[in-house]
Amino acid sequence: MSFLQIENLTKTYTVDHTTFIGVDNISLSIDKGEFLSIVGHSGSGKTTLVSIIGGILKPTSGRVLLEGVDICTLNDNKLSDYRANRIGFMFQFASLLPILTAKENVLLPGIFSPDQKKAKDKTAQDLMEMVGIGDKLDSYPSQLSGGQQRRVAIARSLLNNPDIILADEPTGDLDEDTEAEIMRLFEEINREQGVTIILITHNLELAGKAKRKMRMSKGRIADI
Amino acid sequence: MAQISFFSVALKNLKRKTFRTAVLVSAIALLVSLLIFAISFTVSVASSLKKSSERLGADLVVVPVGARGFAEEFLLESKNTSFYMPISIIDKVKKIEGIETITHHTYLSSISGLCCDIMPTRIVAYNPETDFIINPWLQKSLGRPLEIGEAIAGFGTSENLGLGLLDIEATIFNNRFKIVGVLEQTGTGLDHALFMTEENLKNIIESGKSPLKKGQISIIFTKLKKGYDPDFVGRVLEGEIPEVDVVARSDMGEKFINTLADINKIFLLTTILASVLTTFLVWAIFSAIANERSKEIGIMRALGAKEFHIVKLYLLEVLVLGLLGSILGVLAGTYLSALLAGSFSLLKNISAGLTGVQQITIALVGLIIGTAICVTGAMMPINRIKKMEPLLVIKEE
Repeated sequence: MSFLQIENLTKTYTVDHTTFIGVDNISLSIDKGEFLSIVGHSGSGKTTLVSIIGGILKPTSGRVLLEGVDICTLNDNKLSDYRANRIGFMFQFASLLPILTAKENVLLPGIFSPDQKKAKDKTAQDLMEMVGIGDKLDSYPSQLSGGQQRRVAIARSLLNNPDIILADEPTGDLDEDTEAEIMRLFEEINREQGVTIILITHNLELAGKAKRKMRMSKGRIADI
Repeated sequence: MAQISFFSVALKNLKRKTFRTAVLVSAIALLVSLLIFAISFTVSVASSLKKSSERLGADLVVVPVGARGFAEEFLLESKNTSFYMPISIIDKVKKIEGIETITHHTYLSSISGLCCDIMPTRIVAYNPETDFIINPWLQKSLGRPLEIGEAIAGFGTSENLGLGLLDIEATIFNNRFKIVGVLEQTGTGLDHALFMTEENLKNIIESGKSPLKKGQISIIFTKLKKGYDPDFVGRVLEGEIPEVDVVARSDMGEKFINTLADINKIFLLTTILASVLTTFLVWAIFSAIANERSKEIGIMRALGAKEFHIVKLYLLEVLVLGLLGSILGVLAGTYLSALLAGSFSLLKNISAGLTGVQQITIALVGLIIGTAICVTGAMMPINRIKKMEPLLVIKEE
């Protein structure tokens, strides 16, 4: 059994009596510590797939097994625990809370998880040092550049020592240099901490840096 | 310890739009202050009436026919009125079965001018030998009976008289009186009177400046023997002595109570309307907040927040708002009640006052109702917030 096993996963949406297919009967195995990139055009089903893996979207049918446990059958509380303790999310936009400082944003997942309530200042500081923004602890998101905000989001996604980081086009609106730095961070986290990373990107060059690359089209896996 | 908590995030959310927060807090404060004022007004009037009738200590009050309203005005509302009946009525009352003790008062209203050098005030002349209303009170404050030529002021009277408090002399109906002290406060209409024994009335009548004639009294107070029904004895009294009206203790201030009931209805209606408006305001603002912060809520859900966490976060925000508004409302309402007490003749005349326990209870009621209204208004938007699909709101532009 693989670390993460996706079996016959389908997600359909019905809008105004018309049914759209987001993900069409996908099956996929991902090993622990793998770095998988997913490329594809807009509407190809990348975000839908990653959202189902991350437990923020329920599939229409199929299973997502993490170490043998089907997360699609979990109730809201257990699914929230799963997200809090095993998943680190990064979105395609600046996803920080504007009212919190950078350090408070990093510490935010800690208040949602009983296991993480002991998350200390020091942990947040270390994570921020690691992603290169140790001097921005008390800065608010509005005082940070786009790249710095992404680094805060990376530090935040690592607070709960996740098994998997799901990054949905995390560098889409960044310049090339910053994009490269963020990618280096992902590679480092994957290599040194053994965290499984699933990265969605439009950028083929970026996707090439992952250990495995997958292309999606019309809700299906086009090639691996 | 983590540096952030649900409470600190809730506080930061409130600081995010200070004007909006201030509007909500002010609305709740206004509602609670209205509530506090209404309750304080009603409770103080009602308890003053109760205290007044209990303080008199009489089971039945006998007044000249048609003077019941004047008597209530004199005893409860501190109004300057005069009404008289022949002293011979006392003997008739004594003969009624069930009557145990009897005493009487004669009331005068002083007038400014040639006869008196004090502000217009109410004068109560009592019989020191039979009295059971003033004597116990006097004993406590002065420690001895009043003598001829002496008077003692009710707690609220000294100020009205425009005089100092002790050992001063005043001319009342062309007679010199020594004001020997001030009685302690009772919270009844009698706080606004000047007391003297009825032995002084002879000289006052002789001065010719008073409408009082020889052989007249104003009111008779009776205590009944054990086991006699005041209403029944009152009916017998009125039947046997057509020249009088009888008021049982439980009926004292009936006119007042009816007026109070009408005032209560107005307060109740106003408070309900204000509560509904405040609930709508809270609902509208929290609905706007739900829309504004939907993406943030989606992010928090993706980071592991349960529905319960989202409810807790916003409920804390609502509770802080509600409590802050309610505390300000309690302070403003209490201040308003004190400030406006002098502007309402009803309150001014009846020596209305609240005990510490009553004030604390009213404050707690205000706090609970203010906070509950805030929570009620916010519950529907909060329920909507917690049910939001994380991915849908995260992807919303």
